[in-house]
Amino acid sequence: MEEELLNIKNNAVSLILDAPDLETLEGVKLQFLGRSGKLTVAIKEITKIPQERRPAVGMLANEVKTTIENTIESQASNLKSQVSKKIREDIDVTNPGIGPPLGHLHLITQAIEEISEIFKSIGFSRVRYPEVEWDWYAFGALNFPPNHPARDDWETFFINEEPDPKYGPMVLTPHTSSGQIREMQRIKPPIRMLNLAKCYRRQSDVSHTPMFHQFEGLVVDRGISITHLKGVLDFFVKSYFGEKRQSRIRPYHFEFTEPSFEVDVTCGVCNGRARLPDGQGCRLCKEGWLEMGGAGMVHPNVLKNGGIDPNTYTGFAFGWGVERVLMMKEGIEIDDLRLLYSNKLEFLEQF
Amino acid sequence: MNIKILDSWLREYLKTSAKPADIAKHLSLSSVSVERLERKAEDYIYDIEVTTNRPDLMSVVGLARETAAALAEQGIEAEFKKNSLENRNQGKDFPVKIEAESNLVNRICAVVMDVAVKDSPKKIKDRLEASGIRSLNNLIDVTNYVMREIGHPVHVFDFDKLNAEKLTIRKSKKGESLVTLDKKQYSLLGGDIVMEDSNGRIVDLLGIMGLENSVVGENTKKILLFLDNTDPTLIRKTSMELGIRSEAAVLNEKGVDPELAMPALLRGIELYKGAADGKVSSSVLDIYPNPPKKHEIKVSLEKISRVIGEAIPEDKCRRILRKLDFEVTDRTDKLLVKVPSFRLLDVKIEEDIIEEIARVYGYQRLPSILPPLNENLKFTRFETAFYWERRVKEALKYFGFTEVYTYSLVSEDLYDGPIENALTLKNPLSSDMTFLRSSLIPSLLEVLGKNKGREEIKIFEIACVYKKRQKDLPEEKLLLSGALKKPNVSFFEAKGILETLFEDLGIKGIKFKKRLDGAGGAEITRGKDYLGYIEPVSADIIDFELDFEKATSFSTLKKVYNPIGKFPPISEDLAVILKPDISTIDVAEEIKTTDPLIVNVSLLDRFEDIRTFHIVFQSTERNITKGDVGKVREKIKKRLIEMFQANFK
Repeated sequence: MEEELLNIKNNAVSLILDAPDLETLEGVKLQFLGRSGKLTVAIKEITKIPQERRPAVGMLANEVKTTIENTIESQASNLKSQVSKKIREDIDVTNPGIGPPLGHLHLITQAIEEISEIFKSIGFSRVRYPEVEWDWYAFGALNFPPNHPARDDWETFFINEEPDPKYGPMVLTPHTSSGQIREMQRIKPPIRMLNLAKCYRRQSDVSHTPMFHQFEGLVVDRGISITHLKGVLDFFVKSYFGEKRQSRIRPYHFEFTEPSFEVDVTCGVCNGRARLPDGQGCRLCKEGWLEMGGAGMVHPNVLKNGGIDPNTYTGFAFGWGVERVLMMKEGIEIDDLRLLYSNKLEFLEQF
Repeated sequence: MNIKILDSWLREYLKTSAKPADIAKHLSLSSVSVERLERKAEDYIYDIEVTTNRPDLMSVVGLARETAAALAEQGIEAEFKKNSLENRNQGKDFPVKIEAESNLVNRICAVVMDVAVKDSPKKIKDRLEASGIRSLNNLIDVTNYVMREIGHPVHVFDFDKLNAEKLTIRKSKKGESLVTLDKKQYSLLGGDIVMEDSNGRIVDLLGIMGLENSVVGENTKKILLFLDNTDPTLIRKTSMELGIRSEAAVLNEKGVDPELAMPALLRGIELYKGAADGKVSSSVLDIYPNPPKKHEIKVSLEKISRVIGEAIPEDKCRRILRKLDFEVTDRTDKLLVKVPSFRLLDVKIEEDIIEEIARVYGYQRLPSILPPLNENLKFTRFETAFYWERRVKEALKYFGFTEVYTYSLVSEDLYDGPIENALTLKNPLSSDMTFLRSSLIPSLLEVLGKNKGREEIKIFEIACVYKKRQKDLPEEKLLLSGALKKPNVSFFEAKGILETLFEDLGIKGIKFKKRLDGAGGAEITRGKDYLGYIEPVSADIIDFELDFEKATSFSTLKKVYNPIGKFPPISEDLAVILKPDISTIDVAEEIKTTDPLIVNVSLLDRFEDIRTFHIVFQSTERNITKGDVGKVREKIKKRLIEMFQANFK
């Protein structure tokens, strides 16, 4: 019996070491260790020998098995390294790789992520409010007079539903500012809100799509001033557009802020110089500046409508277009904004 | 609204040594935006965007006043030159009786003059043309010139074409028609401000445009110079309804200062004298039933500093306001400010005064300071929602999906469900964007259709759908939808994507059930909750839609550690012959619950009626033997025969 086991071992080891490839090796393994392999069969025979010899033979059988297994393992790793050596020597590394699948996130999503991160880092909390809203939230509570042009049929989409006796007609939010009142109703100051959402306006041309995205900031607290608005604006502009870009605010007019500002950022094409290096005037900007959007100190009537005492609290707000800031980034100058929502894969796969 | 004016015209009312570029810069920073500064021969043209609250700046005079204040505060010498004309034409008769309701017209200033029609002098022509206004003849040009300079729209009638014993200003009736001076015919909807003459003929569409039947022409000898200060709301209505966006209409709908009417009339008389050999032949008419009252605003000095964020000295506040023609009286700790007539509609509260001070002081002089962090910052439900949205989008991207953004508004064809359920726009822009959608799938399928010539496409979108509610805003539900296009696409490809997604999000207990409506595919549930469906569309297209908020409400970051087994697992494959209508998941679950030694069961292969299950056995306490496995195997077989009439090879 012992002799047979030793023979099996020698036989197996020499076959293993002679195996030229992994397939042959697998065959050898089956031949000895498989369910009807030589060693497996031999081990079954052990039950037939006298009781007193069994422990010694059993031990030997185990040793033989371990030796065969180890040899197979080491031969296998030898063969594998030969294979990889072959790979090292024989391949054309300029051939394309075999990659995992990779899709694309929409430019708008990428901008939204970036913008959210920037405001999160200075303590703003992102919220989500209705896209279909009552007139009161979209206009009335924001201090728009009843006959304001924005409330005309030509600018805002109205929904064919019964008006609410208190809140008026149903509209598609023409701006994210409706979130200001929702936020003031949800929480008391201090408020640091970022409302980033879909908006809708009745216009469609190269620079307007009927659906678009805005991000609205609202800060309400004791002692909030114009200097704080400038602080947030600078932080955003430097974070999003790059450290070289400058920002400024200048007078403008909105119903829901007082004072109101238009926010400008230096042009990324001419670097705010209004002229290109070849002496030509820059065609993208106005005298070196690009308009980013509106901002202002929250109108006391708006605070009142949100249930906040304007004698105790002040605040600022801004509402900027996601598409707009995207277009103002270097390298993304799309001549027709509607392309963003065309969903052509040729376009989407560029980003 | 934009206004273009020549630098030389501005300097008629502004004394300064500032260069045009400096004027443009400081006007932009402190007042209204100079969008372009263009050189024109020896002169410059400012192209200025004026905000709707400042119709007073749609004029050379208004801009000169603002520029002087802005420059002076920035240390550049500048002075506003007022031009006050006196009314020297009293004592004569006015030949026409004019009747008007004061709620339609708040002021009328008029005069009759004898004139000669000819070309305008070069100065008037040049200035108008630089302003983008075509020069026609001296009679028309003067009206435009005065409007540009003073800021009040001006109209001129051929006096002899009017039957002018009595002119009556009234609201139009529906169906009345008229022909404007540009020879276009309009049918009125009613409620427009019109003027009729003694014959009951409509001779003017007030505040908007003159009419052909009374327009001045080459034979005009006598004119009625006519300024009317009309109700802004009615003007806006008429202008939008008829689509007439004349400069007069655009100005009048913003509310023009009635105090400007008389200076504008007098300036008109002066210009006609020079440019049209004009002779005044009547007294100056001035109907002015309700001159606006100037209001006063109290402004606390403390509040000025609090809103601006920097202390502005009191004398500086005073000086700035006075330059803008506000009257200022000092009180303890506050200023008492009287608003000039041309700012009455725009400046009403303390904050308005603060804006005047801050903008002229210069926003560019203020520091930038980040607001302090919110000391009561609380975690909100929003945070988790946005987190999962980001995770899912990223995951799908790495599964090879491309994200699309389709419009929330769809056509009737793309609306999913009975159209009477749809939330509908009252004033759609086009028929393909009329209904608020109830599913994203039709939009995604449209995207697949649009991208022809691609064999394989994987797209997804996360967006809201809208469902009507009684007497309330609609329910807005966030959905995740995806579509796969590929020759002979398999149901299991879509299912696999969702399974992997659920696993990544830690969502457990998801069930896929065959849909009973015969549409094929599967519905996806968890416990009692319906989460969505997978739906084959054709041999090459399959889609899925999930209630995103509900699905992710089951997602979790919670991790549970199970000690790594000390004893190795043993696995075995078991081939079972089963009838085709038996669900694999039921069989697998049956096997799994047979014995605690079984730790995992999965389907390895399915060939005809044979399904091979891969079963893993492991114990936390000991090494499992072949004997253990054999015993369990027999138990499994027995159960499967009982439960599913299974056979074994």
